[in-house]
Amino acid sequence: MTTYPGAGPVVHDPMTLPSDDNVNNYTFCVELKGSQWFLQKGKMIAYYGSIDFNGIGHGRLDRLVRTSFHSPLHASDWVVAEGSGKMLLADRAFDVNSYDLEEGNLTIRSGNLLAFQPSLALKQSIVPGFLTLIGTGKFVAASNGPVVFMEPPIRVDPQALVGWADCPSPCHHYDHGYMTGLMGGLRAMTGVGGASGEEHQFEFVGAGTVLLQSSETLMAEQATGAVPHEPGVPGGGGTPAGHPQQPGAAVPRLPGQLGDLQRRFGL
Amino acid sequence: MPFREINSKMIEATVMPGQRVFSQRGAMLAYKGEVSFTPNIQGGQGGIMSMIGRRVANEATPLMTVEGSGTVLFGHGGHHIQVISLAGDTLCVEADRLLAFDGTLQQGTMFMGSQGGVMGMVRGQVTGQGLFTTTLKGHGAVAVMAHGGVIEVPITPQRPVHVDPQAYVAHHGDVRNKLSTALGWRDMVGRGSGEAFQLELSGSGAVYVQASEEKL
Repeated sequence: MTTYPGAGPVVHDPMTLPSDDNVNNYTFCVELKGSQWFLQKGKMIAYYGSIDFNGIGHGRLDRLVRTSFHSPLHASDWVVAEGSGKMLLADRAFDVNSYDLEEGNLTIRSGNLLAFQPSLALKQSIVPGFLTLIGTGKFVAASNGPVVFMEPPIRVDPQALVGWADCPSPCHHYDHGYMTGLMGGLRAMTGVGGASGEEHQFEFVGAGTVLLQSSETLMAEQATGAVPHEPGVPGGGGTPAGHPQQPGAAVPRLPGQLGDLQRRFGL
Repeated sequence: MPFREINSKMIEATVMPGQRVFSQRGAMLAYKGEVSFTPNIQGGQGGIMSMIGRRVANEATPLMTVEGSGTVLFGHGGHHIQVISLAGDTLCVEADRLLAFDGTLQQGTMFMGSQGGVMGMVRGQVTGQGLFTTTLKGHGAVAVMAHGGVIEVPITPQRPVHVDPQAYVAHHGDVRNKLSTALGWRDMVGRGSGEAFQLELSGSGAVYVQASEEKL
């Protein structure tokens, strides 16, 4: 799929949607042919075909959950999608990518994992807030900005860490060199000067790969479909503060209307 | 140039012994090698007097000094990052947009009223810059954050550029800016186009504009 500048939007139908591949940077398409995928709740944005979404803990799915879902802590956040069709996954306008594991392991921030094949086993990582996937199969993960792969040894801000693969020893690292010495002692005692905010990192050593993103901080939640609160925009957020709407007024007043004068004049 | 763009939201800085990089606190994503991060009381360069100047001007953002040897990844809040390299000219930017900059650059504070008097102060209010703005001068690179992607619009003496004050990020070069208003009776009755104020930049240099009217 190539887009040319000025070619207009790309329109997809069930035939042209890719199978288990990215539609664009922010959307991933999973094709189900009677197969099953684990899916985090709320990450499916659309689907074609007939797909069932069943919560985990369903009697029928017991065997599947027993073999490939070992995280009771996160069980309420996940559903199993099964059926046939194509479904689109996306998350908060984050970049979405799929990763293939072959008899491997990868640990990922639990909020960034969107979906995975049941051929992978999901386990809770020892590091809180992270999930480990073990086995062979495909999974889909989101990141704020493209994922950057780095080789250890490296120290990573906990917020920027997406996950890691094959690293045997993630550990905490504390930097507080500037708190020592005379000036540092004064600083630590008085609190003058503040902290750099970089005293604590995750340290990775050994062979493996570390996955990074720009930040875990979310973009501000924007109400979708709401009209902006501005003069001249009809229906902009209802009544302004300090002018509570009368309970009897059934019709919302449009901006620019002359208050109750109109009603008084019978308009 | 010490900054390398990894992607639109992340940059890599190379730190070498004897060199310093200033960065916003908490903006470090990862690092390799032996690098130390020291919170900077003065909020940048210069002595106590420039610190007081920055405090008075409300342009004192929490900065930290990055020293040592290694590579550091910077990013903040998922904002887009634009690396601007300066070759002896002056960059005007809001202090809270600064992600990281070379320790070789000279940091200063500029009074908006010094460009255009009272109108300059009005301009500062409208653009949300306040009465003061931060200047960086010298040879080196600056990483600036913006909401949405950034485009660079060149300014030539014949062609002044008009920018929405909310989308303005920074400018450098020999640029005069003034606020032009297109207020009419429509704005008075609340039927304006929403574009009553524009920032007009003339001279020679470049202005950086973000693809969003949202502040950081």
